[in-house]
Amino acid sequence: MSALDPEVANQLAEDLPPDVFRTIISTFEEDLTRLAQELAAAAQAGDQQGYERAAHSLAGAAAAVGAVGLEREARIAMDHRQPEPPHVILPRLLNEAKAALQALHALIH
Amino acid sequence: MPARVLLVEDTPTQAEMAKIMLRDFGHDMQHAETGAQALAMAQEWQPDAILVDLMLPDFSGIELMRRLKAAKVDATCIVLTAHGSVNTAVEAMREGATDFLLKPYAAARLRVTLDNALEKRALRKELDTARTELGRESFGGFIGASPAMQAVYRTLESVAASKATVFITGESGTGKEVAAETLHKASPRKNKPFVALNCGAIPRDLLESEIFGHVKGAFTGATENRLGAAKSADGGTLFLDEIGEMPMEMQVKLLRFVQSGTVTPVGGTRAEAVDVRLVCATNRDILAEVQAGRFREDLYYRLYVVPVALPPLRMRGEDVLLIARHLLRNFAREEGKHFQRFDEEAEAAIRAYPWPGNVRQLQNVLRNAVVLHDGEVVTRAMLPGLLLHGAPAMAPAATPAAAPVSATPGTMPIEPLAVSEKKLILAALEHTGQDVPRAAALLEVNPSTIYRKLTAWKKEA
Repeated sequence: MSALDPEVANQLAEDLPPDVFRTIISTFEEDLTRLAQELAAAAQAGDQQGYERAAHSLAGAAAAVGAVGLEREARIAMDHRQPEPPHVILPRLLNEAKAALQALHALIH
Repeated sequence: MPARVLLVEDTPTQAEMAKIMLRDFGHDMQHAETGAQALAMAQEWQPDAILVDLMLPDFSGIELMRRLKAAKVDATCIVLTAHGSVNTAVEAMREGATDFLLKPYAAARLRVTLDNALEKRALRKELDTARTELGRESFGGFIGASPAMQAVYRTLESVAASKATVFITGESGTGKEVAAETLHKASPRKNKPFVALNCGAIPRDLLESEIFGHVKGAFTGATENRLGAAKSADGGTLFLDEIGEMPMEMQVKLLRFVQSGTVTPVGGTRAEAVDVRLVCATNRDILAEVQAGRFREDLYYRLYVVPVALPPLRMRGEDVLLIARHLLRNFAREEGKHFQRFDEEAEAAIRAYPWPGNVRQLQNVLRNAVVLHDGEVVTRAMLPGLLLHGAPAMAPAATPAAAPVSATPGTMPIEPLAVSEKKLILAALEHTGQDVPRAAALLEVNPSTIYRKLTAWKKEA
C-alpha cells in the first residue's frame, strides 16, 4: 500500500511552487521528529493524555500532506480506548513516518 | 476583498498549509498556536474571521469560541476538525461557529467556506447597522425614534471621534446640553472632564474669568489663582451654552482662544496650551445674529464647523410619547408614586399638544401630574388644562411665515364642528401649497394631527 494518498500529495506537489512545497515537507519533517519524541516520552511516562494529544497532532499533520498510512496509525494511537498498546503501535507508526517522508521527498525530485 | 483572518492551529504542518492558502487568497493573516494566544490576538486585532482548530494545547476550540463571545469579539468562526470529531464540530456550530471544515481540506474548499462566512458576516453587519440607524429608540441621553432624531444620532456618532467644533442649535428645551454630553461620552475624550458653561447666566464682567481663569490679585476679590472652564476641561470637552449671548468683547477673546489653543488667565501674562474639544449651542438664529452685527462673523466661521440642529418636540412625531412614558417611570420612582402608564385620552392629549417649551415643558407637566396625583394610570383629567383646552403660543421656529387665513365672524355659517375643522384644514393646506408642516404651524396643531385627519377622510371617501 502506498504511504501517500496520491490525490492529496500529488495535488500539493503540482499546485504549490517547488520552494513552497519544500517548505511544507520540511515543516512536516520537523513536526514528525518532535511529535514522535513526544509520543514515545508520553508512552514511557504513562501520560495517557499527552500520548493521545501527540497522536492527534501527528494524525492532523499526516492528513495535511496526504500521508494516509501514518494518519491511520496515529488515529489508532489517539483512540482513547487504546485498541493497541504503544509498544505495538509505535514501531509501525515510525515505519509509516519514514515511508511517508521518503515518498514526499521523491515528489520534490 | 481582503479580510483579516486569524488562524488558530497548533500543528505547524497544518498551519503552514493554511497560511499558504490564505496568503494566496489575498487575506491579511495572523497565526496563534494556543487558545490563550488566539484570544489575546483576536481582542487586539479584531479579525473578520477566525479559523479554529478544535484541539488546542491549553483549552478546546469550543472553549475558545465561548471566551471570544464573552469578550465580544465580532468575528465569524470556522471550525477546523478531523473526521473523528464531526460531532464536536456540530457542537461548535451550536456554540456559534458559522461553518466547519474537515481536515485535510483543499484550497478551493477553504476559499468557498471562508468567502461564504465572510459574506454572511458582512450582510449581518449591514443589517445590524441599518436596524441600529433606523430603529434606535435612544442614544446617549436622548429618547426618541423619529427620523429627525435618527439624523441627529447619526451626526453625533459620526463626529464624536474627531476634534471638530460642534455647533448645536435648537429651541429651548430640545436638549442642547444633552447633545453636548452625549457627544462627549461617545468621543475618545469620555474619560476626561466635560465642563459646561452657560454664557447667558454669567455676568459679563465675570465671563472671561469663568472661561479662562484668573490669577491672584487680578481684580478685587481675586484672592487666589483660579482655573477657568477651558483649563478645567483640558483633554476633554468644553460646552459653551447660549453662545449667542456672549458680549462682543468676549467674542474676540474666545476667537483668540479658538485660533491659538492657548488661554491666558485674567491678570496673567503667560499663555498656556489647552487641549479641548469645543461644543457651542444657542437657541438663537446665529446667522441672523451675525447679519445684525451682534455676533462676530470670523468667530461664527470658526465655531460653526459641524452644525447639529435639534428638532422641536412637535416635529418628532411619536417621540413625545416615548419620552413621556420614560419620564413617568422616572418621576414615579423618584416621588414614590405608583404610576405605570397613561390612558388613551391622556396619550392623545400629549400627542396633540405642540409643546412650545419642548422636553423641558413636558418634564414639568409630568412632574406636576405625578406630584399632585396617585394611582397606576395617568388620566387626561390629571393633565393641566393648558394641554386640554389652551391654545399655546407657538415657539419661534413655528411662527407662521404667512398671515393666517382669516374669516369674518359675522359671515361664518354655523355648521357641525367637524365640517368646519375639515374646511379649515383644507384651506390651510391650499394656502400653503399642500405643505403640511406649514399648514400645521398656521393652525397651531401638530402636523401628525393633519396627517391623521387626511387618512381618516380618505377612508371615509
